[in-house]
Amino acid sequence: MSTPDVDVIVVGAGPAGSCAAIVAARAGLDVVLLERGPFPGSKNMYGGVVYPRILDTLIPNWWEEAPIQRWVTRRSTMLLTDTQALTIDFRSEAWGEPPYNGATAFRPDWDHWLAGHAEAAGAQVLTDTTVVGLIRDPGGAVVGVRTDRPDGDLRAKVVIACDGVNSFLAKEAGLYEHTDAKHYTLGVKETLALPKEVIDERFAVRDRHGVDIEILGCTGNVNGGGFLYTGLDTLAVGVVLKLPKLAAQKKRPEEIVAGLKQHPAIAPLVQGAELKEYSAHLIPEAGLTMMPKMTMPGMLVAGDAAALCLAAGIWLEGVNFAMASGMYAGEAVVEALQANDTSATGLAGYQRRLSDTFVLKDHRKLHRAPELVLSDRVQHLYPGMVANVAERMFRVDNPHPKPGLRRILNEERKKAGVRRRDLLRDGWTGFRSFG
Amino acid sequence: MSIVACVKWVSHPGEPHDERFAGMSMADQSALEFALQQGELLGQPVTVITVGPAGADKVLRDALACGATRAIRIEAPTTAAGTDVATAIADHIADAEWVWCGDYSLDRGAGSVPPFIAAHLGAEQALGVIAVTLLGATVHATRRLDGGRRELLEVTAPAVVSVEGATARLRRAGLQHLRSAAAATIEVMPATTPIHRAEFMVRPYRPRARELPAPTGESPLDRLRVLTDAAAASAARGETVHLAPADAAARIVHALRDWGYRDS
Amino acid sequence: MIAVVVVRDGQLPSGGDEVVAECSGRAVLIGSGTAAAAADLAGVATEITVLEVGGFQPADWATKLAPLLHHEPAVVLPGSPDGRDLAPRLAALLHRPLYAGAISVTPHRVELTRRSSTEIHQTHPGPEFVATMQPGVRGVAISADLTAPVVTDATPTHLPRQQVRDARVTEVLPPDPATLARAEAPRIIGGGAGLDGEHRMDQLAAVGAVIGASMGATRVITDRGWVPHQRQIGTTGVVVDPELYLAFGVSGAVQHTSGLGAPQHIISVNTDGHCPMMQLADLAIVADANETLDHLAALLGASLQATLHDTTEPSA
Ligand SMILES: Cc1cc2nc3c(=O)[nH]c(=O)nc-3n(C[C@H](O)[C@H](O)[C@H](O)COP(=O)(O)OP(=O)(O)OC[C@H]3O[C@@H](n4cnc5c(N)ncnc54)[C@H](O)[C@@H]3O)c2cc1C
Ligand SMILES: Cc1cc2nc3c(=O)[nH]c(=O)nc-3n(C[C@H](O)[C@H](O)[C@H](O)COP(=O)(O)OP(=O)(O)OC[C@H]3O[C@@H](n4cnc5c(N)ncnc54)[C@H](O)[C@@H]3O)c2cc1C
Ligand SMILES: Nc1ncnc2c1ncn2[C@@H]1O[C@H](COP(=O)(O)O)[C@@H](O)[C@H]1O
Repeated sequence: MSTPDVDVIVVGAGPAGSCAAIVAARAGLDVVLLERGPFPGSKNMYGGVVYPRILDTLIPNWWEEAPIQRWVTRRSTMLLTDTQALTIDFRSEAWGEPPYNGATAFRPDWDHWLAGHAEAAGAQVLTDTTVVGLIRDPGGAVVGVRTDRPDGDLRAKVVIACDGVNSFLAKEAGLYEHTDAKHYTLGVKETLALPKEVIDERFAVRDRHGVDIEILGCTGNVNGGGFLYTGLDTLAVGVVLKLPKLAAQKKRPEEIVAGLKQHPAIAPLVQGAELKEYSAHLIPEAGLTMMPKMTMPGMLVAGDAAALCLAAGIWLEGVNFAMASGMYAGEAVVEALQANDTSATGLAGYQRRLSDTFVLKDHRKLHRAPELVLSDRVQHLYPGMVANVAERMFRVDNPHPKPGLRRILNEERKKAGVRRRDLLRDGWTGFRSFG
Repeated sequence: MSIVACVKWVSHPGEPHDERFAGMSMADQSALEFALQQGELLGQPVTVITVGPAGADKVLRDALACGATRAIRIEAPTTAAGTDVATAIADHIADAEWVWCGDYSLDRGAGSVPPFIAAHLGAEQALGVIAVTLLGATVHATRRLDGGRRELLEVTAPAVVSVEGATARLRRAGLQHLRSAAAATIEVMPATTPIHRAEFMVRPYRPRARELPAPTGESPLDRLRVLTDAAAASAARGETVHLAPADAAARIVHALRDWGYRDS
Repeated sequence: MIAVVVVRDGQLPSGGDEVVAECSGRAVLIGSGTAAAAADLAGVATEITVLEVGGFQPADWATKLAPLLHHEPAVVLPGSPDGRDLAPRLAALLHRPLYAGAISVTPHRVELTRRSSTEIHQTHPGPEFVATMQPGVRGVAISADLTAPVVTDATPTHLPRQQVRDARVTEVLPPDPATLARAEAPRIIGGGAGLDGEHRMDQLAAVGAVIGASMGATRVITDRGWVPHQRQIGTTGVVVDPELYLAFGVSGAVQHTSGLGAPQHIISVNTDGHCPMMQLADLAIVADANETLDHLAALLGASLQATLHDTTEPSA
């Protein structure tokens, strides 16, 4: 057997890869972090909100140095029909102080910052370098990667694949048993420029406080959801769309974003903002249903590459899951290399950590949520029904006396063509997931 | 130190300076590639040199990864004036025979550092070169002239050659070289003469009002018409519209038709 | 202020007349055919010194010019290829700062364009300096009084060749025929750094073929090697003068626009509504140039295949 060049190769300098590299390098291992972009995060995109509490141990007081745009102190969920909007709005001043909760941040800033910590810990970050294949020993164990550079082979005791959604490495290793277009959604996003004062005023926030709005019922015939986040002097507005539906409807995603921006409840918020950037990316949506095997001899998979993104309606969290899984993968590798065992057994500490923490616990809990949120009823019937209920509750229709809620509910349910049984069942699923 | 490539750490113009995007310009990459090819041809090592702050080590490491053997950085702010950059470089490479440069730097963009170096070294110069043939003791270079004409030059050492961006494509560094370059030593030196900051008042670009021939015309009114003719006015003459791509395309076709460039 | 202009075979370089005008008519002409060139400056120049010294030799010429210029506080050259080569050699010999790429020069103020012409950098120079001026930014008003300038011949008679070295010119080539008789191309479709890939250039050419326009590009594009340098429009590329110019993702740096002549109609597609190209345009569309190009190609039925072989000449 040829000797390894390094202890650990981490592929992909996204949040998962950098955290894995930080942990492994801090333990004194010789780590190379490979990234295909010109710098970590250069081409990475997402909606806009990170929940970094998982960094508390890795980078104490991370909030003093992290490149954030605004702290999220207001979260809203909006239900839209063509002409109506029902918003549940929550605000907490506590989220605007240490240790904070969520923040908006740009990925090129965030990922670059995290990779800087990996470098500081001693990992070698090599950019503009794409991994194009795995090197395996006769027994099938992964012993290195092949890159697109001349003399591009690099051997290691362990490879951590953090190469994002649709992971080339996990697929080449045969870790995915079933992948299907229906397990992915397409996320598209526009970044719009608007002066800070205008954003502060329109969204009723101050200083570095910001807003996170999740939207349901804004994607027309294509099942999905929308979001609107505030950066310091930018807005991120976008939609997440179910792939098969999108294909069937022959709609272009940017038309759907344009439609969202024209909605009477959204238009005043984005009015006059200048388009800076348009981007699109796949999201692994199906959670547990699609997750691959997390380890094999010589290799582990973390972050989106392992479908660990939690995309469940009002939650769209991937970065925190990526950071956590990267960290745990790093810890498991340190353990395995200390024991000099990189077989599946030696790496089993990874799966255990995932199972014992929020990473898989949240996934288990919210197992059915994506399906529910993207179901036709939730997508096309409930928003109208709920909005009508609200409209009738709030309408003053004198000389008629105010109707009771139960009656309105019942009438609107019938009008919307929703069966009581389905409503109860969806309610129960929802309660079990979100409750 | 016989073959030298001068490379500058720059970010793309038009965008705010962002170190993460900064690197070698296409022109400097071409210059480095010629230096490396010449080094192979003559069996000589290649030195890369830059004048800049610590961040500029990046371009030196990139050059080392591609095969340069020695890297020198002269400490200076990115705003150093061109004459000072040239003096600083020339002082450190007094015995250079071949100096390869990009033809102008993206940010300052004056193209004056290479001829200044040539003046200091008493060397020949071939500037703004669009084609190069390396022939041992001489170099044949094609230089741009006005109006699309070109000039063929025969250059002998000591010489400074500055090349345009697409004259050569920089080789891709091998993975092992990339790794060792990351750990290689860079010789950091102070400038031998003081480096001045180029001090300027900066404001957004507005075209200069053009001198126009005195209006011709019989009557004052005619002359006034000539002066106020929309076709003669140069700046801010049209409408600005924000459109979705599909509408933009339709609008273009429409305009071409309105203006008589298309009939259907 | 005095202008120094390199003359080749009696021909003034681009921007030559402009620097003479900027220096109120005072100039030194150096090169070959300087007398003929001096005559061409009637109405612009008042006082001309000529040095008839043959082919271009920047290092040698600098030593010949320096004695004449020691007492001239401000020396201005055109930013043509020869001017840009000679100016630094002069500045070095005269120990003066060089301001390269100015759009305006007075004894007390120099304005330069930087960062792809998105910025103007203004400075108040010391008493002595050398500057080059971008060709095409100023224009020249020919005085109605076409009195010939006063010409003094200062050609050195028997100067020993100085201890300086110049490269040897082996040949001067006419414009590359592949470049196009593009100077005459009536319609041009140009691409800039806003385009997201090399394939966009084929697309531009295809759309161009349908509307009878030939394809050109900015320096950024030719530097990337996406199209040959012959297609670069501007001061260091070709100078064109079309009726119609369509710009996709072009910022409109002076080095580009000064090679553009005076088109009757300009369409510009750019995400930045405020860049110079948009200010120049008759129809300025704020949109993504790449997607617009996709739609335009579809709309016009521009097929790539049909045009790949013939992208140089307009088809209609
Ligand atoms: C529209 C949208 C909105 C989202 N919104 C949110 C949100 O608001 N909050 C949130 O927490 N999450 C959000 N997510 C999810 C989140 O973006 C991902 O879960 C997260 O980025 C996963 O991190 P990662 O490190 O696993 O992968 P990535 O961030 O995808 O990083 C993978 C890295 O690997 C590199 N790479 C890939 N292949 C190779 C290769 N072969 N060789 C070398 N390098 C390679 C890539 O360049 C990249 O840097 C959103 C996603 C989308 C698409
Ligand atoms: C001595 C010298 C000589 C030079 N000679 C020449 C010359 O002959 N010819 C020449 O062209 N240049 C020349 N230059 C270079 C010139 O200064 C500019 O750098 C160049 O013209 C800029 O080219 P650009 O417009 O393609 O790029 P940029 O200035 O980078 O502009 C790109 C434009 O694209 C826009 N954009 C970005 N993304 C998109 C999108 N998705 N859709 C639409 N628009 C988008 C941006 O807003 C920007 O306006 C010379 C420079 C020097 C110093
Ligand atoms: N700071 C610098 N360090 C190294 N080389 C430089 C520097 N500035 C300019 N050069 C070289 O000179 C060329 C022309 O630059 P400029 O004269 O600034 O337009 C560049 O392409 C480089 O090759």
